Amino acid sequence: MSTLLSFNSKKTRFWLKKVLWRHLVGLVVIAFSVFPLVWMISAAFDATGQISTQQLIPLHRGLDNFTQLFSNTGKPFLTWARNSLVIALSAAALQVAIGALAAYSLSRHRFKGRKLTLTTILIVQMFPQLLAATTLFLIINTFGKSFVFLGLGHQLPLILIFGGSALGVNTWMLKSFFDTLPTEIDEAAKIDGAGHFEIFLKIIIPLATPIFVVTFLLSLIGMLNEYLITSVILGLDSKNMTVAVGLQQFIYGQYGKNWGPFTAGALLATIPVLALFIFLQKHLVSGLVSGSTKG
Amino acid sequence: MTTVNLKSISKSFKYALSFIFVLLILIMGAKLFRDKAWFLASFFFFSAGLIIYVYSISKKTPGKYLLPGVLLLTLFHIYPAFYSGAVAFTNDSNGHQLSKQQAIAAIIQDSRVPIDSQPPIPYQTLIETNSSKVFILFKYPDSTYWIANSGTIRKLKTNLKDIAPDGKIIKVDGFKVLTPAQTESYTSELQNLTVELDSGVSLQPQDLEFLEVSKPSFIYKASKDQLVNVLTGEIYSPNNNGQMASSSGEVILPGWKATIGWRNFTSIITDKEIRRPLLAVLIWTFVNAFLLVLLSFLMGLTLALIFNFPYLRSKRFYRTIFITPLAIPSVLSLLVWSGLFTTGTGVIDRLFHISTPWLTHPWWARVAVLIVELWITFPYMFLISTGAIQAIPNEILEAAQIDGASPLKSFTQIKLPLVVRTLAPLLVASTAMALNNFGAIYLLTGGGPTFSNSNGNAGATDILISYTYKLAFNSQEGNNYGLASALSILNFILVGLISIYGLRKMKTMEGIN
Repeated sequence: MSTLLSFNSKKTRFWLKKVLWRHLVGLVVIAFSVFPLVWMISAAFDATGQISTQQLIPLHRGLDNFTQLFSNTGKPFLTWARNSLVIALSAAALQVAIGALAAYSLSRHRFKGRKLTLTTILIVQMFPQLLAATTLFLIINTFGKSFVFLGLGHQLPLILIFGGSALGVNTWMLKSFFDTLPTEIDEAAKIDGAGHFEIFLKIIIPLATPIFVVTFLLSLIGMLNEYLITSVILGLDSKNMTVAVGLQQFIYGQYGKNWGPFTAGALLATIPVLALFIFLQKHLVSGLVSGSTKG
Repeated sequence: MTTVNLKSISKSFKYALSFIFVLLILIMGAKLFRDKAWFLASFFFFSAGLIIYVYSISKKTPGKYLLPGVLLLTLFHIYPAFYSGAVAFTNDSNGHQLSKQQAIAAIIQDSRVPIDSQPPIPYQTLIETNSSKVFILFKYPDSTYWIANSGTIRKLKTNLKDIAPDGKIIKVDGFKVLTPAQTESYTSELQNLTVELDSGVSLQPQDLEFLEVSKPSFIYKASKDQLVNVLTGEIYSPNNNGQMASSSGEVILPGWKATIGWRNFTSIITDKEIRRPLLAVLIWTFVNAFLLVLLSFLMGLTLALIFNFPYLRSKRFYRTIFITPLAIPSVLSLLVWSGLFTTGTGVIDRLFHISTPWLTHPWWARVAVLIVELWITFPYMFLISTGAIQAIPNEILEAAQIDGASPLKSFTQIKLPLVVRTLAPLLVASTAMALNNFGAIYLLTGGGPTFSNSNGNAGATDILISYTYKLAFNSQEGNNYGLASALSILNFILVGLISIYGLRKMKTMEGIN
């Protein structure tokens, strides 16, 4: 068959009429989605370090921004990265663990005040914690006078503060997933003599892995984004900062906006998160969608 | 047999562990109690009691799962929220942070005026040999010699042989007496030195040789709770705003932190200076939230319809790329966006060959904020819309087709209502989130451009929470924690009401009844 003929075939005409434009829309939306990421990458490798006059393919390519980022002893990026990792991982783990305990009980047990509990933990967190920053500062300051490791400038109190800070959302997401797991499995285990905690540990947790992945991922990114309370509790000592707090110094610093090292650092911070998202995408999508459409 | 043994071992291990945990909390509570941290100490004791009750006495299971969350929530959310709530009923702000006692002491201290009848008194400077602290030595009011610094004063027993003919002291035990030339290197210490005598008179070096004698022009009469200006005879009494005021309304600064009832709330309505910027902020808060949810839902739904097409290849690829905005930490991407929006030379302006005052013109700034917020939120809307569309049973659509419904009709009359009904609670939740979306505003525009009539606080893109934050921590005319707390309560009520409305509609909640 010649190309001309196949061009006129029914299949091709269908493709031209019904499919092609969808790809075109797809390209436009892709351009929008990755727009800042592309410029972040471009600026990170541009030796001139000026996002405002940036070319897509930088004229002066090089790793200058990365060397600048890593050699700056006053702004220790690797220390920030380690701080961020420790705080975000522990806080997210704590958030998910506490949320899972609450969600299990709210999903499986019938008790008085059940609806009220769920509503309350959701509503309480509508009060913006960032406005309570002064109170949190005072609490941690008081703690620090009695126990150094719970004081200002330490990571443990921050992890505890964040540990409960996504309780409402996490509990709600986990609960709606637990609700979809048939209770017959619990009943069977109960007959076999399993206690409520054993059921939670050995049945619910393995079955709910996808939703744990989703809540953990969302909590993690929420923690990586936090900078206000972090800077209030950890203070202005640059070795205590997280990536989110520290990198902002390049933008709001006293010598004007220093986009080069900022974008280099932002890119390095984005890559692992992006990789996690792509790697766990299947779970993420099904988790978000099941949380929204299943009742 | 062995399983029973194992079980009992694990059980006793569990008990030992929880015993140690409770003991730890009690010890911490005791330490806090000793350090006079009353609230935290009682919180720890109460927690320990609750833990013992819930995990070993109570037979009810739910408490065992809910307690960890409840304890953390109470300490780090509910308590701070109530604390902020209490601040809303005070005038806590710059100029009103002292206690009443401290404020009155400060007023009296600041009101010192030189006594005209008293000529300056000559003094000498001493350094204590042990501590190398700076002291002054002077003769007042008669022939008694005093050694003093800001905190201490004592009489000096003098030997006649230590006094030079001009009345200066040559030698003091335990001190080094400085020559006038040596004194010069202690100028800054001497400038900060004030000696207060029991009579209320205070002495302060006016140069390197003489002390100025001054006395406060205010006297506090505790019995009447009044400040009296001894020079003018004017009487000042506490007003209802934590200040001392005369009958003609003249106030003396500083004031103190006082409970002012609902006035922060009423001033939102009655005070023109607060009301005008706040009204603009409130309108934008709602317009921004509703527009954002509407636009991102429309975009997400449209994309979901376009890409939920069975004959389209590489759907997975598109989806992966579409959700990148979710995967970039927004604190970083927002700052990158702010760079891209630079007027004239910025990437966006060069791309479209325009020069737009993105972040300096009110309307363009609002457009920029919406574009960026849309970029962050559309992937989520796309995902949940896709889910909702796929959840529509095929039979319904097929039945419609058989009945001869056009694709448009089957969309507007079947698909759309079903999708909207499924997603309605999530849209409400998204609206609540958008109302509280501090980061997007603060990092992108900082709330700016600033209104000219708002004392430099409110800006065109400020939403209630960013405006409140600026009032509390970053105000150009003095931070006002009282007013900020009142506004955060207002914000909480608004967002809370919308959330409750959303929860009511939520299917998940229906299952609970």
